[in-house]
Amino acid sequence: MSGISNYVAPRSLDEAAELLRAGNVTLLAGGTDLMPQSRNGRTQLRPTLMSIRRVAELRGISEAAGNVRIGALTTISELRDSVLVRERLQALWQACDRFASDQIRNAATIGGNICNASPAGDTLVPLLVLDAQVELASKSNGTLATRAVPIADFLLGPGQTARAATEILSGIVLALPPRHFISSFFKFGTRPALDISLISVGLAARRAGNALHDVRVAFGAVAPRPIRAPAAEAALEGKALDDGVIAVAAAAAEAEIHPISDVRASDWYRREMVRNMFTRVLAHVRDR
Amino acid sequence: MGAAVDIARGETLIGKRVPKMDAPEKASGRTRYIHDINLPGQLHAKILRAGVVHARIVSIDTSAAKALPGVHAVITAADVPWQRPIGVAKDHLPLKTDRVRSPRDEIAAVAADSAEIAEAALRLIKVTYDPLPVVTSAEDALRPGAPLLHGEELTWTAPDGRREVLHAPSPDNVAMTFNYAQGDVARGEAESDTVVEDVFWLHYVTHCCMGVSGVIAEFDADDNLRLYSNTQVPFLHKREFAELLGIDPGRIRVIQPPIGGGFGSKLDIYPFEPIAIFLAKITQRPVKLIFTREEEFLASPTRQPVLLKLRSGCKRDGTLTFRTVDTLHDNGAYTSWGATTPFVMMQTISSLYRVPHCQYRTRAVYTNNPYAGSFRGYGNLQATFAVEAHMDKLAEAVGMDPVTFRLRNAQEPGEITPQGMHFKSCGFKQCLETAALRSDFRRKHNEYRAKWHDSNPLKRGVGMASMLHVGGGAKIYPSDGCGTILKIDDFAHLTLITGASEIGQGSETVLAQLVCEELGLPLSAVTVVNNDTDITPWDVGVHASRTTFVAGNSAIGAARKAKAKILAAAAAKLELPVERLGLRAGCVVETGSGNRFIEIGKLIRSLHFSDKAELVMTTHYYEPPSQHQDREFKGDVSAAYAWATQVAEVEVDTMTGIVRLLRITGAHDVGRVLNRLGIEGQIEGGIVMGQGYATTENLIVENGVVRNPSFRDYKLVTAPEIPAIDISFIETMDGEGPQGAKGVGEAPAICVAAAVANAIYNATGVRLYALPFTPENVYRALKGQAQPPVWRVAS
Ligand SMILES: Cc1cc2nc3c(=O)[nH]c(=O)nc-3n(C[C@H](O)[C@H](O)[C@H](O)COP(=O)(O)OP(=O)(O)OC[C@H]3O[C@@H](n4cnc5c(N)ncnc54)[C@H](O)[C@@H]3O)c2cc1C
Repeated sequence: MSGISNYVAPRSLDEAAELLRAGNVTLLAGGTDLMPQSRNGRTQLRPTLMSIRRVAELRGISEAAGNVRIGALTTISELRDSVLVRERLQALWQACDRFASDQIRNAATIGGNICNASPAGDTLVPLLVLDAQVELASKSNGTLATRAVPIADFLLGPGQTARAATEILSGIVLALPPRHFISSFFKFGTRPALDISLISVGLAARRAGNALHDVRVAFGAVAPRPIRAPAAEAALEGKALDDGVIAVAAAAAEAEIHPISDVRASDWYRREMVRNMFTRVLAHVRDR
Repeated sequence: MGAAVDIARGETLIGKRVPKMDAPEKASGRTRYIHDINLPGQLHAKILRAGVVHARIVSIDTSAAKALPGVHAVITAADVPWQRPIGVAKDHLPLKTDRVRSPRDEIAAVAADSAEIAEAALRLIKVTYDPLPVVTSAEDALRPGAPLLHGEELTWTAPDGRREVLHAPSPDNVAMTFNYAQGDVARGEAESDTVVEDVFWLHYVTHCCMGVSGVIAEFDADDNLRLYSNTQVPFLHKREFAELLGIDPGRIRVIQPPIGGGFGSKLDIYPFEPIAIFLAKITQRPVKLIFTREEEFLASPTRQPVLLKLRSGCKRDGTLTFRTVDTLHDNGAYTSWGATTPFVMMQTISSLYRVPHCQYRTRAVYTNNPYAGSFRGYGNLQATFAVEAHMDKLAEAVGMDPVTFRLRNAQEPGEITPQGMHFKSCGFKQCLETAALRSDFRRKHNEYRAKWHDSNPLKRGVGMASMLHVGGGAKIYPSDGCGTILKIDDFAHLTLITGASEIGQGSETVLAQLVCEELGLPLSAVTVVNNDTDITPWDVGVHASRTTFVAGNSAIGAARKAKAKILAAAAAKLELPVERLGLRAGCVVETGSGNRFIEIGKLIRSLHFSDKAELVMTTHYYEPPSQHQDREFKGDVSAAYAWATQVAEVEVDTMTGIVRLLRITGAHDVGRVLNRLGIEGQIEGGIVMGQGYATTENLIVENGVVRNPSFRDYKLVTAPEIPAIDISFIETMDGEGPQGAKGVGEAPAICVAAAVANAIYNATGVRLYALPFTPENVYRALKGQAQPPVWRVAS
């Protein structure tokens, strides 16, 4: 017995934006967050349920003018199968590889992962270190318009984003990383499959010899939203990775996180794991 | 895959790899579980649970729910004043009258045209509560002045006004106590060169049956009750339901659809079953009640937390001297079978190894937590965990390796223990030696230990643990028997009607195998009927690893009677002495040569269609030659005992606390392998269940509330975590067992946690006294941040 009185499935972005403008709409993509959340009462469905799955413009991964564009409806499986993602956006690929199970990956979309804005959302940490922008489409003044927002500004808190009620997340845009650019994502869960990140670590940098430049570090599940860690970045910037630098960066990271205690782990353990796993990720990069 | 059995050539079926008879149906999704059964006119029921932990019920208003279109009945305790308490101690009313003791407590129930309407009606019921102080742990429950969970007597008033006290008050929150003693522990301690004492904490888990709980209740026009039920004990429950309803047990028929997992969870009656019956009675319609997965977590039984203090000693030469055990069982809010797990725990304490002096004490204590049922192993996982930790500690203290130390104290065939158990067949020493050899235990144990302080954060370790469990039934009830009816039709098709329930363990297949072995018929000639109390003969139920042993012997008995009848008829017809005749490959044959005389079907047809017409239909009831325990808990309760040793090899990531199981090497005294495929599956499944208990599963209960009622946060083991498994079968050919076999249903789950604990110690030098070994718990212990369990129990 839900509050849904109307189901719509537009075929174009324009049509979808128009329907959204009318208000009182819940957007449905893969449904892997929405369905469980509406059943357990965490999300109230609005009178109109709008599936965006028929909107072809929201699909696909493309590359043009040094930019990669990922449609919001791209599934985690599609990202995992993409050669471009695997070879050039390793951190994102690793996140998709450790994401849920086949069944979920086939349904779950990257747009849904972003809009759900879970502190533990697995694609968010790679998108942070890849400096991605999200693209929002709406027809608030009658014509279809888009705006781009850096992912770091888009994510506000658990389940909270900068998306206006009339906007659809249409895609993600990021600059194709230069050569010698490395990126890496490490999901720490307590088991190897079907697990929610207890903490996660993202790292991206340009590598010159043994030194890292343009370093970006992000962590998941240690604050109300996935966060960048500027002090850890600064500790690594331009430096050759050795045990001393790694230890300083790990200590800096610890000061930037605010984990909580819940049924999955204590804040103490999350802190320890950020330190140990960040150290492990850096050592892995050093030894590679 | 082993070689296929060529029944046409009359080869034996015993020990072969026989696929389970129900496998094709299950694998192709055709099996009709209770969820799939829908009766004409059926209503759907839902239960309103308290949600609050401990409170007085001030008022219940069901008027809005009753007014909802599609609702046929809304009931509360007031509508069934004749309801009687259920459970092992009769301390539990299905619908609560004035007080709730647990958030799962049943306040009201609805029967409606659909589950959705029933659900909506629940939301319209208004209940007000007056909160009471909460008792969150067994230790708190024993503190002087603790709130009393069952401080008042529970009475029942018959329709004629007669009052009965059904449960006496428990003035100290103690639901049940057990005391056992053998020898003189003070003397044992005086004789010891080494004594160790530790406190262990065993955590909450639950069964996680893939098929959630459910029931369909229906009364016919004559008021006979038909129950579609997932019970493991149909005949016992038939009687209990009759008592509950005040009707003649003969008027109750229990039908068991294929059961999606039991593991001990379906040994008791739970409130949802009487509630469905009440609703069926009131609405005069079939009523179906199926749990949601969340409800399954909240309202099905648990393996309860146990705080256990163990003191043990040995002499310099490694001989055990004594053991003293004190346990506190968190019974939860009501009493179910969990309270009686000491029956099994004390067997392990007293008789797994030879210990002259033992003292054992348990108090099962009421709290506001989820209440405890029986669960595969029945207390043995907990007892084994503590005992095997001490075996390693004592061995280390006297400078012996774990294998030698255990061999020194292991039981041997012929032993009658001080508790009265008689080990007629016993392969314990072979189990120890085989598991040690196949896992290269001694070498690895030394090697891994030498690496405690090297720089590699990944540590490896091996640990061993052994177990003793009943393997020939358990004489708890007046009878531990099982009946069989065997019917052979004129096409030599065999209907095996057995009292024994199938809960996925493969009993149908094994029973069919045993019968075919006697009668020389192929498995394809057998239909097993085992799920309807109006048809099947009595059986005490599927529990205590007893079905293969007890129902197997019963089936063999019926088959031998049928064989005698067929051979006698053949002898008369062929005019040959009966000694020269046998049954093989569907024919009556000459015993020595194997020459075929006549097809069994043809012979039976000639029996039917003659002037002395006769059916080949036999019955047999088998009662194992075991004894009830006396008042001191002494006696030979099982007709046979099963043994096993398991070695766990683990890798501990000291940076995360993740314990990876690399390999389990198990050696199991199973008497004899009947169905190799089946027993391998049983043992692998048990090991994985033991692995879950050891490393991932944890029902988190805080202040009486279950915090993780879903598979997201209650973590079952997933496929990539399952270790390599190496199983050896020790075939001791038990003299009483069917074809020499013993029961092994529970055995494989029992040792894993204990072995893993010993392996973690071997890997890291850190001993964990509390389960589960989740990454955080292990990491804490490695960092010296764990709070070891302490015994702070009021005596
Ligand atoms: C068993 C299971 C395992 C899981 N494991 C993981 C895991 O390992 N890692 C992980 O990160 N997550 C996991 N999840 C969560 C979930 O699968 C992901 O967050 C997924 O990416 C959500 O995508 P979706 O398309 O299913 O979103 P939906 O459920 O359809 O939508 C999620 C939310 O986003 C909104 N929304 C969706 N698309 C848009 C859009 N284009 N514009 C605006 N709003 C939109 C919806 O209205 C809704 O509020 C798991 C979920 C389940 C059930």
